[in-house]
Amino acid sequence: MTTAAIVIPRRRPWTGAIELLGQLVLRPAGLVGLAILLVLTALSIAPSFFVGPIQTAVTATGPRLSPPSIDFLLGTDQLGRSMLNLTVHGTRISMVIGLIATVITVLIGAVIGIVSGYVGGRLDAVLMRITDFFLVLPTFVLALILTPIIRDLVGNATAEVFGIRMTLIVIIVVIGITSWASTARIIRSQTLSIRERAFVDRARVIGAGGGHIMRRHVLPNVINLIVANAVLTFAGAVLTETTLSFVGLGDPFQPSWGQLLEAARAVGAPGLGAWWYFVPPGVGIVLVVLAFTLVGSALDDLLNPRRRRAP
Amino acid sequence: MTQPEPAAVAILEDGQVRKLPRLADPTAPLLEVENLKTHFTLESGMVHAVDGVSFRLDQGEALGIAGESGCGKTTTALSLVQLLPPNGRIVEGTVRLYGIDLAGKSENAMRRYRWREIAIVFQGAMNALNPVRRIRDQIAEPIVERLGADPKAARRRAGDLLELVGIPRARGSAYPHELSGGMRQRAMIAMALACDPAIIIGDEPTTALDVMVQAQILELLERLRAQLGLSLILITHDLSVIAETCDRVLIMYAGRIAEDGRVADLFSKPRHPYTQKLLAAFPNIHADRRTLDTIPGSPPDLRNPPPGCRFAPRCALAMDICRVEVPGATILPDGVRVECHLYPAGSDGTPILVPADVT
Amino acid sequence: MGGRFLGRKAASAAITILAIILVNFLLFRLMPGSPERIILRGVPNVTEQQRVALRERWGLNDPIFPDQFVKYLGATATGDLGYSFVARGQTVAAVIGQRIGPTLLLFGLGEILAILIGLALGAYSGWKRGTAVDYVGNGISLVLYSTPYFLLGMALLLVFSTGLRWFPTFGMLTAGRIYASPLDLLADLAFHLTLPLLTVSLGLVGQYSILMRSSIVETLSEDYVTTARAMGLQDGRVLTGHALPNALLPTVSLVAINLGYVIAGAITVEVVFNWPGLGTLAVEALTARDYPVLQGVFLLLSISVVLANLLADVVYGFLDPRVRT
Repeated sequence: MTTAAIVIPRRRPWTGAIELLGQLVLRPAGLVGLAILLVLTALSIAPSFFVGPIQTAVTATGPRLSPPSIDFLLGTDQLGRSMLNLTVHGTRISMVIGLIATVITVLIGAVIGIVSGYVGGRLDAVLMRITDFFLVLPTFVLALILTPIIRDLVGNATAEVFGIRMTLIVIIVVIGITSWASTARIIRSQTLSIRERAFVDRARVIGAGGGHIMRRHVLPNVINLIVANAVLTFAGAVLTETTLSFVGLGDPFQPSWGQLLEAARAVGAPGLGAWWYFVPPGVGIVLVVLAFTLVGSALDDLLNPRRRRAP
Repeated sequence: MTQPEPAAVAILEDGQVRKLPRLADPTAPLLEVENLKTHFTLESGMVHAVDGVSFRLDQGEALGIAGESGCGKTTTALSLVQLLPPNGRIVEGTVRLYGIDLAGKSENAMRRYRWREIAIVFQGAMNALNPVRRIRDQIAEPIVERLGADPKAARRRAGDLLELVGIPRARGSAYPHELSGGMRQRAMIAMALACDPAIIIGDEPTTALDVMVQAQILELLERLRAQLGLSLILITHDLSVIAETCDRVLIMYAGRIAEDGRVADLFSKPRHPYTQKLLAAFPNIHADRRTLDTIPGSPPDLRNPPPGCRFAPRCALAMDICRVEVPGATILPDGVRVECHLYPAGSDGTPILVPADVT
Repeated sequence: MGGRFLGRKAASAAITILAIILVNFLLFRLMPGSPERIILRGVPNVTEQQRVALRERWGLNDPIFPDQFVKYLGATATGDLGYSFVARGQTVAAVIGQRIGPTLLLFGLGEILAILIGLALGAYSGWKRGTAVDYVGNGISLVLYSTPYFLLGMALLLVFSTGLRWFPTFGMLTAGRIYASPLDLLADLAFHLTLPLLTVSLGLVGQYSILMRSSIVETLSEDYVTTARAMGLQDGRVLTGHALPNALLPTVSLVAINLGYVIAGAITVEVVFNWPGLGTLAVEALTARDYPVLQGVFLLLSISVVLANLLADVVYGFLDPRVRT
């Protein structure tokens, strides 16, 4: 055997991403999922471009709780606001909340997973005990309690982050700190299997420090899994926020889809037969979760080390 | 669920009597496969996994099927009992067991012959045994389900079979994960014997085992063959196993048979260039040390097999005709059958040697 | 089955429950306002004596760790979870006790139905993999899986209650109705139960059938299934005797893990149908900032999930001999 130097090929991170995207589009599941996501992203970035500024109780012009008509394609709510307008704006709110919550969740989960998997020993045991605890806990109920407590503690701050009001930021943070457990587990097991691989040992022999190894060797190989996991986490985050808003923790001034659904229920829309009030935001949620689940499992298929051919 | 009552009988060499299935023809050979073709349908095309395989197995014989991975050995075995995955199909040929053609039978009709006439022992027995059921129960299952025995009698018989293969009866209550690799393989053999089949097919039966255990398993198979008048088909890529255990051997390449004959003849006078290369690839402990002789290239893609002889692209003695015309089977004077243009009809069988690699 | 195996799992569960109570304790200390004010807020006409006694019982005069925590632990173990803000004078335990029944009924029945139907559907789907049945079944399951339970509920309400008028719109029993006989009561109950039960079951079926399907597909490619078929066993026997027992294993684990997520859905279903269970209690307590009740519900639900996981572990040990050693 020749003794070649250990060369970790330095690829630009995005070439890998573009390849992946290409392969993703070839699968029907991935294609449908991506298409839906594209539409939703467009709506999220510039909702006002498509339907005008968000309507409020003051600027509402339509008749109250009326079914779809030529003027109001998706009908109106009990304040006379156009459901089309509200639903499209809700897209931005729901998606941004989902995004930030996912970032927090994956950050915490990945850090804990990598550190735990790489360092091992006592630290690993302790961290995993905590992680398992969070896995068993019904985190939704925990979020239910934490949100009002933290909101009361934070007070009436009117600051906005990424155009999202403080009340919703609290929800985002709460989702982040309660949902990281499954990500941590997955990342940890991937880290463990990478740690066993020879090149990490060689790097150690050269004298590279732990942090360096984690950054330059472990991280690039885990990134794929993190991305796939993030996609599935996004779906979960949107669902969680929707449910939390549905039980009353949403913000009526920045209605996400969950908040719209809560308003629909409060008004008694199902009982009144006002299907246009809850079907549009509902369809939105189903589409987002479906799209992310499809893309997420297509990614999982592609990146699953068992099915990958050895380079 | 009553199986048709076997009527005819066959009397074996040592006087044992074996009951034959109802439709059997007592004068026919035990197993005769003619021009078997099995294809798989993939997204990327049709894989011609087995493309015209013919051979014969006589009562009490041990036949080896050897070849590289992917040459179609396992597919051939699975085709015999129609145990192919959903995307596989026998497209042509006959498989005659006592003269009864199994290839054309429906799934329901096929069931009669599975295990009771032909049983399969898979490789590794790591996952070939159900991990959540006791060994004894798994051996007893075919006795109950296929022979209609009552559970108690079946368990007793299972115990008998365990002892026959050298496992203490008491170990029958163990689960697969509690047994060593060798014992698991013995248990699988016991399971294969449950319905007293005529033929046992061993698919790489010793590959996952260490050499000592390998020897024990082969010895067991020999003993069973003598005691019970079993006929064996051993599928393996390990020629030494075949040399030790089998009477005759088929060498397969890319879905077709290269050479077929008695082990002694084939191993001492290999005719087909592939056979020669295969034998040469095995290090000879007595010869001088030299670098291993390898066969350059790789087996053809069976979705698009090359026209003509499949080995031609890698054959050192390939002639023009080899690339164009599929060689027919020639039976040489000493009984060896070979499919190669070097030995056309009427050839006297003198081996044409492949030049050894100059290192 | 190994006593050690059981022992280990039970001990683990006990530690988890302890940790849950700790979390509860921390939450209790996190809340704005002084602890005794929070505990006693719902009680009218509190005397100074009561206040002093309470401080003693709950250890509010003692340092937080370990004394106060131990006292809190003791109080929780005996069922003393404080007093509800909203239901003046009633203990949290009493309030929760009134609402457990309906939730058990709805959720328990829903789980049983979903497990039976979902697993069967998933198994059949996996067995017939690649056929039309599989694609249709999988598609429906996927959509069901992506739909929040309360949305399903609202849709069902719209169609079957408002539209077709087959079922009532809310509640567990018709308000103010006098029943001629227990059978009458049962009928009314069943009537009200149908839609919420359908909602919970549909949501769960989607999940379970997807789980079971992928488990069966993987199992069917194992060598022992090929051996079973090679033995000439009937298809049904191969499925039930060999494939299913092995396919059930990961499914059992996953069902248990999913329990936490399912609770969120169950709460919202109760809200949609105004079903008088723990879910609606939690939301009412949330709106009224009735923290003691909220915490009590959290405690109860969390411990239930831990116990359910323990049960799943036991069942798994029963099914898979490999973990018993």
